[in-house]
Amino acid sequence: MKLYAYCLIEGIDSLPVPLKGVSGANVRLLKVGTFSLLVSDFPGDAVPVNRDNALAHAATVGSFLDQTTPLPFRFGTLVTEKQLESFVTARRDALQAKLDLVRGCVEMSVKIIQTANENGDPPAKAEAPEKPGTAFLAEKRREILNKESRAVEAKKIAGWLEDRLAEVVRETRINANPTEKLLLAAAHLVERSCVEQYRETLKELRLERPELHFLFSGPWAPYSFANIDLEFQFGVS
Amino acid sequence: MSSPFDQVIITETGEQLDESELSLLETLDHVLNRGLVIAGEITISVADIDLIFLGLNVLLSSVETAHDVLRRHEANGE
Repeated sequence: MKLYAYCLIEGIDSLPVPLKGVSGANVRLLKVGTFSLLVSDFPGDAVPVNRDNALAHAATVGSFLDQTTPLPFRFGTLVTEKQLESFVTARRDALQAKLDLVRGCVEMSVKIIQTANENGDPPAKAEAPEKPGTAFLAEKRREILNKESRAVEAKKIAGWLEDRLAEVVRETRINANPTEKLLLAAAHLVERSCVEQYRETLKELRLERPELHFLFSGPWAPYSFANIDLEFQFGVS
Repeated sequence: MSSPFDQVIITETGEQLDESELSLLETLDHVLNRGLVIAGEITISVADIDLIFLGLNVLLSSVETAHDVLRRHEANGE
């Protein structure tokens, strides 16, 4: 039987109350060297992506978030105990460095939504009827220009956000590659003592830029600051 | 807010959303797209992934995450 891995955690030696994890399995604490991990038994070969499992994963990872900062595994991490021990042993220094980075912090998330026609650009001019080929190329050109202008806008907003939150944020991950509606997404590593100040600052920023739609959430376990292997597996830097 | 560590989602209108579809989207965005990866050991079944599209007008990155997950699995022949 495989283990479902939730997170590495420090400062927790036992589970004060029983925890139910993915598929309703009992969560337990597994010690590997100096690390503790939250795991549960999983009978199958693949974890279904459904509401209950996603929420169970998040709830288990977040179960001690008010006391200590875990290093979360991504949803669906199924391993044998031997594989888990091997991974933790081989990556000990990198994992310790990540735990040092996130210690005392939580992740806060900001998404800024602005649809392509909300960015103040004038609507396309009504022009004389075009031949189909010309119309297609003109539309493509508009799309490209719009994409470029949204990318520039996203970078500007990312800079504004970073400047204004610098005092309360330890580290930032920003995705400023706009899609049709989402202009940018940012994850901030914030010390627990600064969470309220962070929220107040975001409220001020929202008032400053009423044309932008903000969605902010948190605190989360530091999902965006945990990975050490992503660049090798998916070619993401 | 009762505690600074209650998880809350606040929209542009200042409305706090708990236990909502939006909250689920944010959760999916975090748990599916981020976190520590042990190379080759993410094993999920995407048969139920349509839940991500439940009744929402907003296209947040969770939806893109779902597509990414599907593409990755297709690319890996899973």
